Amino acid sequence: MKVLVCVKQTFDTEAKIELKDGKIADAGINLIINPYDEVAVEGGIQLKEKKVVDEVVVLSAGSDKAMDAIRTALAMGADRGILIKQDTGADEYARAIALAAAIKEENPDIILAGHVAADDGSSQVPTRIAEILGLPHINVITEIEVADGKATCTCEADGGTLVAEVVLPAVISSQVSWNEPRYPSMKGIMQAKKKPVTTADAAAADNKVTIIEFAMPPAKQAGIKVEDDPEVCAAKLADWMKNTVKIEV
Amino acid sequence: MADKFVSKRNLKFLLYEVFGVDELIEYEYFQDHSRETFDMIIDTAIKIGTDLMYPVFQEMDADPPQYMDGIVKTHPAVRTTMSEFGQGGWINANQSYEYGGQQIPTVIQNVLQFIFCAANYSLNAYPGLTRGAANLIVHFGSQEQKDQYLEKMFSGHWQGTMALTEPDAGSSLADIRTSAEDTGLGYYKIKGTKIFISAGDTDAVDNTIHMMLARIKGAPAGVKGISLFIVPKYRSNKNGESEFNDLTCAGIEHKLGYKGSPICQLAMGENGDCHGYLVGEPNKGLSYMFHMMNEKRVAVGIGAAAKATAAYYAALEYAQQRLQGRKVSEKDPLSAQIPIIEHADVKRMLLFQRAVCEGSLSLAIQAAKYLDLASVGEEAEKYDLMSDLLIPIVKTYPSEMGILSTSSAIQCLGGYGFCRDFPVEQYYRDIRIDTLHEGTTGIQAKDLLGRKVTMKGGKAYQLVIEEISITIGQAEVIPDLKEYAAKLTKALDVFKEVTDCLLELKQQGDLEKFEADAAIYLEMAGVLVVAWQWLMQAITAAKALTSGVSESDTNFYHGKLYTFKYYYKYELPKIEGLAAVLKNSDAITIKMNPELFLD
Repeated sequence: MKVLVCVKQTFDTEAKIELKDGKIADAGINLIINPYDEVAVEGGIQLKEKKVVDEVVVLSAGSDKAMDAIRTALAMGADRGILIKQDTGADEYARAIALAAAIKEENPDIILAGHVAADDGSSQVPTRIAEILGLPHINVITEIEVADGKATCTCEADGGTLVAEVVLPAVISSQVSWNEPRYPSMKGIMQAKKKPVTTADAAAADNKVTIIEFAMPPAKQAGIKVEDDPEVCAAKLADWMKNTVKIEV
Repeated sequence: MADKFVSKRNLKFLLYEVFGVDELIEYEYFQDHSRETFDMIIDTAIKIGTDLMYPVFQEMDADPPQYMDGIVKTHPAVRTTMSEFGQGGWINANQSYEYGGQQIPTVIQNVLQFIFCAANYSLNAYPGLTRGAANLIVHFGSQEQKDQYLEKMFSGHWQGTMALTEPDAGSSLADIRTSAEDTGLGYYKIKGTKIFISAGDTDAVDNTIHMMLARIKGAPAGVKGISLFIVPKYRSNKNGESEFNDLTCAGIEHKLGYKGSPICQLAMGENGDCHGYLVGEPNKGLSYMFHMMNEKRVAVGIGAAAKATAAYYAALEYAQQRLQGRKVSEKDPLSAQIPIIEHADVKRMLLFQRAVCEGSLSLAIQAAKYLDLASVGEEAEKYDLMSDLLIPIVKTYPSEMGILSTSSAIQCLGGYGFCRDFPVEQYYRDIRIDTLHEGTTGIQAKDLLGRKVTMKGGKAYQLVIEEISITIGQAEVIPDLKEYAAKLTKALDVFKEVTDCLLELKQQGDLEKFEADAAIYLEMAGVLVVAWQWLMQAITAAKALTSGVSESDTNFYHGKLYTFKYYYKYELPKIEGLAAVLKNSDAITIKMNPELFLD
């Protein structure tokens, strides 16, 4: 049995994002595996350690820089990687087309991915892949059991949980609470260099969405300090809450 | 807590752009590595530091180890970290494949130390000391000892320590009294007391292995009669079962800083049943220990540079955010206040910290690269000599100047810097240990002037002078750096003149006077070699700026050049004053009799 994990390389969540000419200035910004995808990688490796699957393949689409994300997943314990070379400006549609084409060739039993990317937060790609490949899709899983050609997953559901069963192959996307991703070990880092990574060009697909521009969130406003006798302060504060920020009680 | 404690950009600038560390992979021993593996190792270390170590940095200081019922209870993060470091192969990463390591170069190992120490110095002490103790067994232990101890230590299940100091034998190890009596049964009976043993006991691991200096009964007096023993807290009996080895922790010290790691008093053989296992040959313990001392002293310098760096980033972050005061030229009292980083005086303090921190790190990387080249290169003797000469400086400059640097970080925060709400006061306390452990500044000074400068007929000294001269030559052909090359040339000439003056005293047999101001000489050497490091960084930055770099890199290189110029304006001139002190023949510190201190 084979598990394939889709990973996206994103900006470090700690990075300070700056815009230049309406675009994100990426020079000097640290890139990491999307933390949600990292959970999926860990999940795939744990399935192999439990001998549920025999092989963990990691797949990414993007520029050559995405190779770093693949190597990190390999250092964590994945067996081999596939880099689909694609323009970094590809939208979710084009990205899903490219990934789905590679997945079809690999024919895995389980396709794992994070349920959302930390950068654009669109939550579209796993669902689109499932749609393109005609596979079932279970989202935001926090547990998985695999047996008899089926996966039984515990998922988040509006504050509670639900348990869903699906016949494999299926696309399964992970919530961060599924597991705690391991750090690459020294040995893993050394082995990662020797593990096979194949590259291929992306299947042709034009974007359906064009991003016109990015904008930073509005700057945080300075707080308001009310200084007076306690009774006057309380009255001013109540007035501010009622008439300025319009908090309804 | 500040967001940042190390700069990956600066690490990569020093490693690859200044020192070309990736050249090491040309050597067979490092051939399995690549820049890619170095980067991934560094990235993972920063992640471990960020996720696992930095979050408990202040907590471990506020909640230090407790001595209860003969056991030292340490923070839960110690167990987690030892386990993570063990499983991840971080304790033995620089060992050869034979010992399960990954043969990473010393220079990369030291960068990892820098990252982990900046994240949490106390927490890093546990795996760091274990690495050092295990390294002694790797180099000098028998196969049986290697089989018995290394796996458990490298996997983080057992803690390692260096047990040297005794109540009456600190800097003067010749006076240690712990005794070892040969039983003829494959072990010695150890009896005595040790103090100041870092991580000497912890409930975070299953056993503690002390690499202990002791004197075999009948051995010669002084340093020639000291042997090295493995003394575990729990030993294996004939059935392979673990049993108590009559080694107890008698208490822990209450310290100024570095509080997350206990400094223990150990009592061995109170019931006459403490077993010690001789490492190597009798009476060679001190030479074995000193074989490892270079590694430990570089580690202290790295640790000091790391703490000062973390303090610098905390001060920088505060200075960027804190609004206070207005430009001198702004006359409107109702105009908006400006971030304090806009004030020249605050910038001066930040530049001082950056100059010390990045100069120190550069020097440590330089020395570590020499150590690597000494182990694999064709000119092993040359690099061995140069690293040997630099090590007292690598240990001392970051430790002494780091105190001033962290103090300056506090100053940037004003009154808040003095309060526990901000981390800088802790860095100031934590760094104070570094001029003390692994040989005080006084010991380093005697090592440099009394031994290293003259060893092998002054060859090491000459080689380092030549290296500095080569860098000066490279700077002289860059128009913007020419005047700085001249300044370093002048400083180097002054240093050589002072060295000649002092060596003349030695030749005249005036040894008291020769060594009286050795610490001042060491300080002068530190100012000089860090100026050399900054010139190397300036050459790299100046060249990079001519090759069309991104906006962020342009800012980075200009920041480097401003810090370099700061160093040459504010720090390098100290050479003249120090030289004046050293050339002054009025031996005040020798003439001042102890009774004259009485008042």
